[in-house]
Amino acid sequence: MISLECDNLFSTWREQARWLLSHQIDPSHVSWGEVEVADLFATDEHYPTHNGPFQARIPKALLELLESAACYHGEQRWSLLYEVLWRVSHGDRTAMMAGDQLGSELQRRIKQVRREAHHLHAFVRFIALPAAVGPQMPEYVAWHEPAHDILHSASQHFVGRMGRHRWMIATPLDGVYYDGEQLIHQRQCPEQWQQLARNVEDPHSAMWLTYYSHIFNPARLNPKVMEGHLPSRFWKNLPEGKLIPGLISEARTGKQRDGQASLVAARRGKKISSGHS
Amino acid sequence: MQLIEKLSILADAAKYDASCASSGAPKRSSEGKAGLGSTDGMGICHSYTPDGRCVSLLKVLLTNFCLYDCQYCVNRRSSDVPRARFSPEEVVTLTLDFYRRNCVSGLFLSSGIIRSADYTMEQLVRVAKLLREVHDFRGYIHLKTIPEADPALIAEAGRYADRLSVNIELPTDKSLQILAPEKQIGSIKQAMQTIFTGEQTVLNEPRAPRFAPAGQSTQMIVGADDTDDSTILHGAEALYGNFKLRRVYYSAFSPIPNSPKSVPLAAPPLMREHRLYQADFLLRSYGFRANELFAGPGDLALDIDPKLAWALEHREVFPLDLNRAEATLIARIPGIGLRTTERLVELRRQRKIRFEDLARMRCVLTKAKPFFITSDYHPQQAESTSVLLREQLRDRPQPQQMGLWG
Repeated sequence: MISLECDNLFSTWREQARWLLSHQIDPSHVSWGEVEVADLFATDEHYPTHNGPFQARIPKALLELLESAACYHGEQRWSLLYEVLWRVSHGDRTAMMAGDQLGSELQRRIKQVRREAHHLHAFVRFIALPAAVGPQMPEYVAWHEPAHDILHSASQHFVGRMGRHRWMIATPLDGVYYDGEQLIHQRQCPEQWQQLARNVEDPHSAMWLTYYSHIFNPARLNPKVMEGHLPSRFWKNLPEGKLIPGLISEARTGKQRDGQASLVAARRGKKISSGHS
Repeated sequence: MQLIEKLSILADAAKYDASCASSGAPKRSSEGKAGLGSTDGMGICHSYTPDGRCVSLLKVLLTNFCLYDCQYCVNRRSSDVPRARFSPEEVVTLTLDFYRRNCVSGLFLSSGIIRSADYTMEQLVRVAKLLREVHDFRGYIHLKTIPEADPALIAEAGRYADRLSVNIELPTDKSLQILAPEKQIGSIKQAMQTIFTGEQTVLNEPRAPRFAPAGQSTQMIVGADDTDDSTILHGAEALYGNFKLRRVYYSAFSPIPNSPKSVPLAAPPLMREHRLYQADFLLRSYGFRANELFAGPGDLALDIDPKLAWALEHREVFPLDLNRAEATLIARIPGIGLRTTERLVELRRQRKIRFEDLARMRCVLTKAKPFFITSDYHPQQAESTSVLLREQLRDRPQPQQMGLWG
């Protein structure tokens, strides 16, 4: 049994996999450890460090699929990829397709990763730092907790979105900072970034919270559909998250009668006489 | 009045418009540029409210003062609602603030009719123009179009907005006359035609200024009158055909406060709305025609989806052999969607399709099972009558939500 460690880096895994494949080493003889330091040659068999004779031909599309699936946090993160690679390089293309047992797991992971990137684009909430902090600091900071390794690639989206503004996204694992010109990725998010993003005050959040409460139509209450799209693990980092239980219970206790929010219903109305406004 | 109070009134007044899509815009980026915002064709849902609807855009009315008296509308002039009016600059400030926070991907702006159709339209256009020209805003903008407005104003709106929409409001001309007497079907369709012409003019002209690149859509209120689903979907089909609409939105009529007697005071028909969306999707993406879904006048079934309903009426087509059938026919099997169809076709180039492949593809197997054949499977249910199958496959009624006021 060969146990390997790739520091959760796709490029490292790729080199290791290329070597394994060139020596025709069957997936059942390899495993990747997640945390513990593994030694490439901690095995009773002996292998040379240079590549072996087997020349694998793999479709280019496969490499992209593997790189995307590699962002998935879960069991067999790296060995699953080698198994797919092994089968495809030995002529069995079904291993990358959803109809196959292994392929369907690969495709499921890719889908989860894509979904998590989308969650980043959707649910990051930037909070402005006071202007006084100066040009060395980001103008906007966000704290986000992604389930997979998507921050680096998916945060590119905000470069297009935020123009020349400086912004930072901190997570429990890694972090990104855009200084107005380039995107800097830290695999280990600096503690200072984490502190900044977690403790920032937001004195101007009332507008958004008001909007959220009032665009909700209590006559159409459907919390199940909401939770399907907005998983509850995100609520704690969304400013509107804390409004959700209250809006649901208010709708259940009477506001389902019509679509209007009770705060608007409580205000004095105004009919308009025909002809002027 | 404080801005926050205006926001509460004018968001509350805008919630009855179903659309909140931010998709279909061309690729734009602010990388290295002054200004703010990007689009890439994909919409983003930044939040969801407890009604299960997506929050993608800041959706507000410029004002809910209105000269019209449309019976189904909470903002009709005879309605006793609080009124407010934003200045164009206020809408711009809110849009940019929400956008920087990453709470929305843009603005969907509509308005009550004040002074005149032209004046109202000018105000809407002014907001979009400020965003685009003064603030270099490259996010998504959807403008509601006032049907009676000067075509020149509509053309101007098309230069700033990604999407324009004119609401058809009600499925028939007759209902419009009864419930929205100030609106004319003629001017609604004329405005749709103006937008359609605008889109056609810049088509194949790469250097022409863009015109509503995310196309036009419309909204139809369902359940405020007694029009049947067949009429509604034939109407939608005509709109897709005549004006190349991207979407028709169906909005289940939500009871409004101080409801006039001319419209129902009942819970919104959400299941009916859902079935209409399913049928609409069959028209837009599956190649169905409205007259395939309806033998005559009538409504869609509520207890089975429209594709299953069609399959049960056309048993002679089934069971289909997944290893041979054409892709367009496979997509007509209940429980098998476009994506699964694509995957099946991909897989069968490599090897024979087996029953267990379908389970892995996450299609709705119980629904699909009676309608297909694979190399190792032939459905016993192929012999069952449609009546029996329907009984087995229909949705069991959900436990009813107790109405606290019923």
